[in-house]
Amino acid sequence: MKTRTYRNPTGVSRYTGLLLISPFIIGALLLIVYPFVSSFITGLTDGSSFVGFENYKHILSDGQIRSSAAVTLKYALILVPLKLIVSLAAALVLNMELRGIGIFRTAFYIPSILGANLAVIIMWQYLFTSDGLVNQLLETVGLSPVSWYGDPNAALFMIVLLRLWEFGSTMIIFLAALRDIPRELYEAARVDGCGRARAFFSITLPQLKNVIFINLVLQTIAAMQEFNAPYILTGGGPLGKTRTIGMYIYEEMFTYGDAGMANALSWLLFMLIALIVFIMYRVTGTLRRDG
Amino acid sequence: MKNIIIKAAALCCALSLSACASKKAVSVTPPDGSLDKCELRFSWWGGDDRHEATLKAIDLWSKKHPDIIVTPEYGGWDGWTEKVTAQMKGGTEPDIMQINYDWLITMSPDGKGFYDLDALSGTLDLSGFDEDTLSFGRVDGKLNAVTVSLSGRGLFYNSQAYDSIGADYPKTWSDLIELGDSFGGEDAYPMDLDIQSGGTAWYLAVVYIQQKTGRQFITLDGELGFTEEDIRDALDFYKLLEDNHVIRTVKARTDEDGNAALYQSPEFIGGNVAGVLEWGSAVGKYEAVLPKGVLEAGPLLADDNGNNSGWMIKPSLLYAVSGHTKHPDEAAAFVDFLLNDEECAEILGTTRGIPASMKARAALEKSGSLTGLSKECEDMLSEADTITISPYMELTRMKSFYNAAIGSVSYGTADTQTAAEQMYRSINEYLEKIKK
Repeated sequence: MKTRTYRNPTGVSRYTGLLLISPFIIGALLLIVYPFVSSFITGLTDGSSFVGFENYKHILSDGQIRSSAAVTLKYALILVPLKLIVSLAAALVLNMELRGIGIFRTAFYIPSILGANLAVIIMWQYLFTSDGLVNQLLETVGLSPVSWYGDPNAALFMIVLLRLWEFGSTMIIFLAALRDIPRELYEAARVDGCGRARAFFSITLPQLKNVIFINLVLQTIAAMQEFNAPYILTGGGPLGKTRTIGMYIYEEMFTYGDAGMANALSWLLFMLIALIVFIMYRVTGTLRRDG
Repeated sequence: MKNIIIKAAALCCALSLSACASKKAVSVTPPDGSLDKCELRFSWWGGDDRHEATLKAIDLWSKKHPDIIVTPEYGGWDGWTEKVTAQMKGGTEPDIMQINYDWLITMSPDGKGFYDLDALSGTLDLSGFDEDTLSFGRVDGKLNAVTVSLSGRGLFYNSQAYDSIGADYPKTWSDLIELGDSFGGEDAYPMDLDIQSGGTAWYLAVVYIQQKTGRQFITLDGELGFTEEDIRDALDFYKLLEDNHVIRTVKARTDEDGNAALYQSPEFIGGNVAGVLEWGSAVGKYEAVLPKGVLEAGPLLADDNGNNSGWMIKPSLLYAVSGHTKHPDEAAAFVDFLLNDEECAEILGTTRGIPASMKARAALEKSGSLTGLSKECEDMLSEADTITISPYMELTRMKSFYNAAIGSVSYGTADTQTAAEQMYRSINEYLEKIKK
């Protein structure tokens, strides 16, 4: 059998493909594989010498990881459904053909561009202090003021509110998907006497189910990795009730300088997120495939 | 193709392994005795008063040494340890650093984390320091850092707030507790303690117990001197201050100030919180936010028999030179300028406390600028029977134990006995671990 050779006048060799994708490969090796492996190995050391799985044993026997994991899970459980509902509701409104809708779409997206940067968080800090604007508003409508920073539950909810306010990116994904749903489906349903609510549950939601799932996964991962909002806003307090696993990792690495513990914790967080996403895929599998 | 990718991934793993396995080789640049053209980085933390003075001092340096450019890196205390820790781990720290006392334990446990300044005596004149002061910066016999000033925490009060209540500054612990009533009527507080970066809550409780028992909280070589009962008594004392409206509860403080430092708090600036426990070397930032002359130093609190022992001092700051610096002579010359130069001393004044360098001190005395709250605080401490703070007491992990205990006592999630047991256990375990 004749061997095909790739040497030809156009200069395409068997390595050309590899050469073309090499920027990605090199980038992935240097920026993903290397830190990934390096992090795992550092997690098996006390920063300099090999200690096996001692860091993992210490973390799992210590109450701090349970407390941080509970805070992180509680935060994700409150934030993610709320964010999906709010962003879907906003997307539905912004999907209407109204005059000047483009301005509204832009306005709703602005908080996501601002993100949890310092200026936003400082503004947030002043909104929620004991005599801040939020408490003044609550008092105006006859409600008693809330101890936002001092009460452990309220402090976590304050961070949820900050992130909820940044619903723009999930909203954009919903909006794009809504615009892809064929108009004919709604028209046919209307002809058959279907109301708006029924159309939402029987057409919109089923059509959006994959997008809802993507948003659910992305938002859960982001929530599980939460760091900068509690770091700047509450410092993890009060009583460590806003101390997410992200903050725990940061403290171990930079406050206490324990690279071994920090990397072992990062791996535990990675495994926890992987497990949650795996369960999500499993639980929603049939739902996503059907219909 | 698949083979190549697998090989590359394997290479990455091998690289990771070797990077983790090999100890970082630090090549120390030896001094050559001459000052060459170069650029240096100098980092410090502090308040605005210190920043402004230091930037002016750098301007003066650049006039005297136009060939040696010094780039400043500065900020507030919050997060500064983390920043420098990350730089030290990555080998990207500045050539000259203002360091904290406990960093010598965490960043240079074997004395090799910073440049050995004894080797730079050609350009760094340390004749203005006594050996006791220099010994604070020695690790394993190597001079890792030079003490800039000795400092301790003292009490400072808002004179306007005290005048409006008609109260005198407290002289004893009993006076302090009685003040809670006078200020409570006005919904104000005679002072404030915190469990954030300052961690003054535990500090004052330690002073109280040290004075009462004569035992040092943690010894200089890292032994816990307090018993579990001492720790419980310290927590009881803290709770007594809260219950008597002497200080805000942790919840009230976080509600009113969020995560902000006390000197940035509207409650302090507005005079509702009328006192602060602060390092004499760093009180300038509190002084600056109140009208001039309003903040005054109060006496060190004593027991009812007039015994005011138990208060503490330590090197407030030290200057260190990076072990990686490529310009040791020039860095040493800059440290020498900061410590000994007469004009520089006048510019820096007491923004880093009362200088430990005799030369800088003499310059300030000559110009009559050795006055102010720092000096008053230092005078009071030098007259008292003080204890040198153990660097182990200052470690950030240790502070997390103190603050967790104070937080749980303040919120009532643990009684003082339970919190003391937990703290006693955590401190002993940690001290044992780091001294291995």
